[in-house]
Amino acid sequence: MSHKMIEPSDSRSRVSRRDFMAKVAGAGAIMATGASVPNLVLAQDAPKPPADPAGVVPNASVMTGKDAAIKIHSDRPLTASATAEYLSDDITPTNRVFIRNNLFTPKFEEATHVVEIKGLVDKPLKLTVTDLKRMFSGTSTVAMIECAGAGRTAFNPMPRGTPWPPTGGMSCPKWHGVRLADVLKAAGVKSVAAHVGFAGADFGALSTIPKVARSVPLSKAMEEHSMVVFGMNDGPLPDIHGGPVRILIPGWAGSASVKWVAAIDLLDAPLKGPYMDSSYRVPRHPVAPGSAMPADAVSAEGWPIKSIITNPAPNEKFKLGKPVLIAGHAWVAEAGIARVEVSFDEGRSWQSAQLNAQAAKYAWQTFSYAWNPRSPGFATVLARATDSNGNTQPIVTPWNPLGYYWNGIHRVGFMVEA
Amino acid sequence: MSLRFGFAAGALIIGLLAAGGAVIAPLSAQEQVEPSKTLMPGKDSDLTTARCIICHDATHITRTKLSRAEWEDNIKVMIARGMPIAPNEIPLVVEYLATYYNRDVAPPPADAPAAVATAPAADPVQKLLTVNACTACHAVDKKLIGPGFREIAQRYRGDSGAAGKLARKIREGGSGAWGPTPMPPHQHLGEADVRAMADWVLQQN
Repeated sequence: MSHKMIEPSDSRSRVSRRDFMAKVAGAGAIMATGASVPNLVLAQDAPKPPADPAGVVPNASVMTGKDAAIKIHSDRPLTASATAEYLSDDITPTNRVFIRNNLFTPKFEEATHVVEIKGLVDKPLKLTVTDLKRMFSGTSTVAMIECAGAGRTAFNPMPRGTPWPPTGGMSCPKWHGVRLADVLKAAGVKSVAAHVGFAGADFGALSTIPKVARSVPLSKAMEEHSMVVFGMNDGPLPDIHGGPVRILIPGWAGSASVKWVAAIDLLDAPLKGPYMDSSYRVPRHPVAPGSAMPADAVSAEGWPIKSIITNPAPNEKFKLGKPVLIAGHAWVAEAGIARVEVSFDEGRSWQSAQLNAQAAKYAWQTFSYAWNPRSPGFATVLARATDSNGNTQPIVTPWNPLGYYWNGIHRVGFMVEA
Repeated sequence: MSLRFGFAAGALIIGLLAAGGAVIAPLSAQEQVEPSKTLMPGKDSDLTTARCIICHDATHITRTKLSRAEWEDNIKVMIARGMPIAPNEIPLVVEYLATYYNRDVAPPPADAPAAVATAPAADPVQKLLTVNACTACHAVDKKLIGPGFREIAQRYRGDSGAAGKLARKIREGGSGAWGPTPMPPHQHLGEADVRAMADWVLQQN
């Protein structure tokens, strides 16, 4: 219907003759030059967003860098992820790292993009990425990045927000950059500073839309794995993952790892703003499904104990008589993995899986188990991890209004053929 | 369920249902239902679309069903994140969302009187202003993010070239004339539509 001029028989697109003639008269000069007549019926179409601002990387261009396993969940803002069966690598390849934008994907250059270190410091700094690379010694780590809402669709009822699949919205790539602590020390952190805020340079459709900004306690920022990042998996940091420079706060809700970071602000209290005070919050005590966020909710920090099964893939087929390789990853923000157990009888009995060594403190840890089915038929495997503090994954994560921290037990079905 | 089995048993059953169903992990490939890219037509659906799609596509709404409390909560979060909306529009948008995307109550049928009554636009230019998100930042008689249309008309009173200047401003955007907040360009609009909008604004004197 968008290109039909007038449809008198359709009451929804009716334009009165008086309005139409008035408009034609008003546009007379344009018509005389051969330009189109007023496109009044276009006005019946759905409302449109304003045009994208300059300096935006189009989604199509972002997605050329991604594997077919990465599925888009939302075009505006762009969000996309691959599910567990595509995440078996110990180090997630760049083309399978999930995408979570709040605003547009911006394009900045490392020679001109400036990161400002300010607030409660002795010596405020303004550094380009080129400066950061020159002034501080480089470091690398393999570490988890995971959206607070990863796995959200597993909640019942489903809360609002990006519809991450039950095992989508998590990645474990290798990060290259400099230690955040080194940069903070160079600016001279004053003794009254207790929190560090990060603000991104990405932008929305209107100049009035606030910047993405989160803060973390100073102790977490000073931890040796917290980084100012400018590389991923031995390559440059792609635009979509915050290039040329971002923050990494490993193991914590991904929003703290601010992309396209432009300001690092030393504060005496947590940052105020929409990304602190209304998003990325979890209730202090469980609430009834469908409730609003309670006033005393707390800021989302480290991920609790969690695991996914990467092998087999859902509905994969096996032949009886050969062992079935069960594999996956387990992780937790601020503890170690004590054990991972698997079950082939819907949780009635559990066997200990083998745990591989961890690549780095905040990397996920791969587990495996060779299962010998005794009879043919459709089989299921469940995995549950326990951390070094004795916390075990729940069957189902308590519901919360923004659908954060899904860490319920993962279950995969597959076929054993005779 | 909790009434039949008691609270503890009810919670356990819900947990087990979740473990056995699609909640923990699908045991067979789930059919992917593409969410609609447009809102269900109804009272204030165009207003809701115009306000929401500035920042995110409509699927963020159409794939979602929430309680009224969650919708009310969500609008507060969106306003904090920069949603441009006039105070009197907030209850209208909440009402639309809580009517058509309610987890607990089915939406009214498409041909219900409430839906039909809102379909005709009062004025085609006003409709243009709504669907192109102009009214997200501009009202007739007051400043929102940008100046009011009446204020603009008054500034250009007596200027014979006003329509052309205004049309250029709509198409190309700019800042400074009314303060530092820039107006985004709207180069996707047809010339005739831009001119019709400019004429309409100047009539708000």
